Amino acid sequence: MRDVAVISVGYTRVSEHWEKSLKGLFVEASLKALESAGLSARSLDGVYVANALSGYIQGQTNLANVLADSLGLYDKFAISIDAGGASGALAIHEAYMDVAHGIRDLVLVCGVEKMSEASPQDVVSALTSAQDQEQFKYTGITVHSLAALIYKAYLKRYKARQEDVALMSVVDHEHALTCSHAQYPFKLSVEAIMDSAFLAEPVRVLEAPSPGDGAAAIIMCPHEMAKELGLPHVRVAASEVARDRINPMEREDLLAMRALVEASRRAYEKAKVKPSDLSFAELYDDYSVMGVIALERLGLCDPGGGVELLKRGEVTLKGSVPVNTFGGLKARGAPLGAVGVYQAVEAFLQLTNNAGQNQVKGARVGLTHTSCGFNSVVVINLFEVCC
Amino acid sequence: MVTSAYWRTRLHRYRLVGNRCAVCGKAFFPPRLVCSYCGSTKLEECKLPERGRLVEYTVVYSAPKGYDVVVPYVVGIVELENGVRVVAQITDVDVNEVKEGMEVELTIRKLPEQLEGGMICYTYKFRPVIG
Ligand SMILES: [Zn+2]
Repeated sequence: MRDVAVISVGYTRVSEHWEKSLKGLFVEASLKALESAGLSARSLDGVYVANALSGYIQGQTNLANVLADSLGLYDKFAISIDAGGASGALAIHEAYMDVAHGIRDLVLVCGVEKMSEASPQDVVSALTSAQDQEQFKYTGITVHSLAALIYKAYLKRYKARQEDVALMSVVDHEHALTCSHAQYPFKLSVEAIMDSAFLAEPVRVLEAPSPGDGAAAIIMCPHEMAKELGLPHVRVAASEVARDRINPMEREDLLAMRALVEASRRAYEKAKVKPSDLSFAELYDDYSVMGVIALERLGLCDPGGGVELLKRGEVTLKGSVPVNTFGGLKARGAPLGAVGVYQAVEAFLQLTNNAGQNQVKGARVGLTHTSCGFNSVVVINLFEVCC
Repeated sequence: MVTSAYWRTRLHRYRLVGNRCAVCGKAFFPPRLVCSYCGSTKLEECKLPERGRLVEYTVVYSAPKGYDVVVPYVVGIVELENGVRVVAQITDVDVNEVKEGMEVELTIRKLPEQLEGGMICYTYKFRPVIG
């Protein structure tokens, strides 16, 4: 297998981009990534598109072919990856595997999502459509209600307080303050969270992301090519995928998150690092409690210990394990299928010392955790400084 | 979803019919085509008990299209008398009076008409056992 590097990134701000189409966002992020590497689109060997909802919201299927064509790549390899919230990281995984195995050399991965065109009810339907519709359509169960049941189980098992779990969202907003691509760059207090309405009791509106539009792109190639091109780059140290029962209610233990434990264990082993070696971690905190559980199941603390890390400020930019260094899902924003690529972009910015005011000093190795369906698909990508 | 999909799922929606793996004995609701524990395809239809206990619940405020007209409503995990767990709506109970551990029983109820563009649909829900 060949070593694989990320040589360039491009991205839009996460926002409600009323003036930009799905295609427009894709082209903007992709061209930015190409420009910053000084490459032309025609030099690419393939395009990996990550998206979860275009078939539902825009009525656009066959997305990779439509989008690659819009970039002038009417004759190049293109594929779409759809795995809900995990799409972006899974697309990176697929691109990584293809480059590592010598199938393709220079590839573009772009995650794109446009959620602002759907009504709030449609967004709940769209998010819930990632679960088995034969079961969900006729019951009124929502993704928020599944999160609520997990949240209650967490609070009960670890005798935790919601006010403490909600600190996850507070940290996200604190980090987004200085992030130019964040959807919500403002401070958020625990009080404001606890005063916000319920999505499903006890999950509060301000503990989960709001619909957003955005696109993020990265260019990957063999490590040797990156050196020849003379571009700043980071190495993909590991990319591991694990799965679990898609409906969390069918798992023996609601909080075990087996796929998360398994994927991260394999990634650490492959990259020869320990959780304590991580300079930072980008977590898939689609609900505050899912971020806290991720801290624990990634091995950054013991099960039940996530709240303590938050309270001690260890996960802030100046703490021992900075997480969601640009605002995470809650505040940078969560254009669903693009999330994993945004996380990779942020890891690249950290590891190339381009994170501005959000820079984690001396960052050497960063982890991205991307999932869908409450960790039913988990992708752990590890990036590290090399050369 | 089209009318045939609604019709096709009538047994499990109207009568709480699941299935059971003939090899390892695991029971499923809704019914499965392949046992997700042992991989067997020998699955036999089985009518599930209509009574159980509410293990955990939540009150839904942000609902999908069609259900947004009936918020808030209760959704919970019901453990049936044979141990099978079903996630379903809990009805006939005030959102402030619903309790974990509550005895509940099956009832067939109409879904919001908005769900299928005016088509009247029914499904399983659970309600508190009186007395
Ligand atoms: Zn079986």
